[in-house]
Amino acid sequence: MTDVLDLPFTEARAQVSPREYVDACLSAIDRTDAKIHAFLSVARDANEGTLPIVLKDNIAATELPTTCASPILRNYRSPFDATAVARLRTRGASIIGKSNLDEFAMGSSCEHSSVGPTKNPWDTTRVPGGSSGGSAAAVAARMVPAGLGSETGGSVRQPAALCGVVGVKPTYGRVSRWGLVAFASGLDQIGVVTKTVREAAEVLGIIAGHDPLDSTSSTHVVDDYATDLDTGVKGMRFGVVREAIEKLEGEVRANFDTAVAVLRSCGAIVEEVSVPTIGYAIAIYYIVANAEASANLSRFDGIRYGHRSDRAKTLEEVYFESRGEGFGAEVKRRIMLGTFALSSGYYDAYYGRAQRVRAKLRHDFDVAFGSYDFLITPTTPESAFEIGAKTDDPLSMYLNDIFTAPANLIGIPAIAVPSGFDKLGLPLSLQIMAPHFAERAMFRAAAAYERETNYWKRRPPLT
Amino acid sequence: MKIDRDEARRIADLAHLEFEDAALDRMADEMTKILGYIDQLNEVDTSGFEERAADEATPMRADEPRPSLDREAVAKNAPNWKDGFFVVPKVIGD
Repeated sequence: MTDVLDLPFTEARAQVSPREYVDACLSAIDRTDAKIHAFLSVARDANEGTLPIVLKDNIAATELPTTCASPILRNYRSPFDATAVARLRTRGASIIGKSNLDEFAMGSSCEHSSVGPTKNPWDTTRVPGGSSGGSAAAVAARMVPAGLGSETGGSVRQPAALCGVVGVKPTYGRVSRWGLVAFASGLDQIGVVTKTVREAAEVLGIIAGHDPLDSTSSTHVVDDYATDLDTGVKGMRFGVVREAIEKLEGEVRANFDTAVAVLRSCGAIVEEVSVPTIGYAIAIYYIVANAEASANLSRFDGIRYGHRSDRAKTLEEVYFESRGEGFGAEVKRRIMLGTFALSSGYYDAYYGRAQRVRAKLRHDFDVAFGSYDFLITPTTPESAFEIGAKTDDPLSMYLNDIFTAPANLIGIPAIAVPSGFDKLGLPLSLQIMAPHFAERAMFRAAAAYERETNYWKRRPPLT
Repeated sequence: MKIDRDEARRIADLAHLEFEDAALDRMADEMTKILGYIDQLNEVDTSGFEERAADEATPMRADEPRPSLDREAVAKNAPNWKDGFFVVPKVIGD
């Protein structure tokens, strides 16, 4: 018997009623999530819907807690919906639950969740990636057909890659950030996880658009992303970022070279292009993102909402002890780095310099997009790593985002598409980056590649 | 850039974060290592590039009164709430 959760939306809707679609998700969660731990809360009485979806637990929906997997928000329940969630509700979505993440979306493995890691459905001794690892694992394990995540440096694409599903990061400003708990407001963007490119295009089409509640949301017209998914890529120009692949070896490199051959067989023009500053993206990212985070997270002070320390006697103790008890080690590390980078005497040498290198990176991308429709790299430098392998070495964890962070720093859209499996049976992924607001062309290119490869049809052995 | 315990304490005070000494030493070591990686930004010639692009201004909305959050909904998330106010420790001395 076909599992309706193996099918893309359109086929699933033709087979089952909206009630049955949602019930199929709830029973799949009952069967599978004990092994994966993707969900932090489940909406047992979820309304029927033609678009069942899980929300990363830093996106607000009033009927469920919004914890950010942090002790400081353990009992928090948002009094309002995120705009993306409100838009989904008007289009027949059913919120199935909230998914695990690295605390406050700070991490690349879900190991920084205060309630324990999510497991990779392809090998439960390995991480699902992060920070949106719960949404990616839930979709990969066929518990729900779609998920929302959020991106600051690759937090949708990297877990999508490690879990073998499609992950989209839209242009900065394409989706309202209202109701997304802020990490780095100049980089944050809500993104989408699905099994197929067409489903991702449908979900993004619903949540995209200007919102008066987010002044950085764009008034740029929202294209119909589904229009030319079948058009193909004949004659389109793909630039392979030389600096990203020249040191890559082994299976990731071989897999990427195969993906290039597939694009060429579809009639695309694929050539190497230089983006000289791309290798500095992680260094820039950890100054800029953490500087913004240190300011954004100052709102968690134990006064208006969230955890307040029982030990605190004075106002100052309320601040220091509530934050000391309520934030995990990685969140504190990032607040400390960001505070340092903005502090008197270091601002120009760290934050100012990082911003100037970022401007140069943006320039380098502009030059490359002058000659190419898309830029491509592997989504990640390696497949899913073992749980615990990088927890003692923050820097090696950070470097997992080396190919994804540039898109956030520049604000361009990018998509991760499954590109096959390594010898261990772990998923690999192709990243396609496009110029600002070129999502429609990006989906077209990703769909052309997906149609030739169809890796999404393979199901994790677990389920 | 080497971060020692005193510098880490200065930053922690700015960030309103409480640390035990041992945790602070560990944090100082990790920050030193990460800042060592970040120092590679010094290799880049950034002449001609500004910290902030001219077209990056955040658009502003009109400053008009709008409905606000419901007080009861806000009260539900408050750690300590009484008679329509957040309760905090006394901040003015005797």
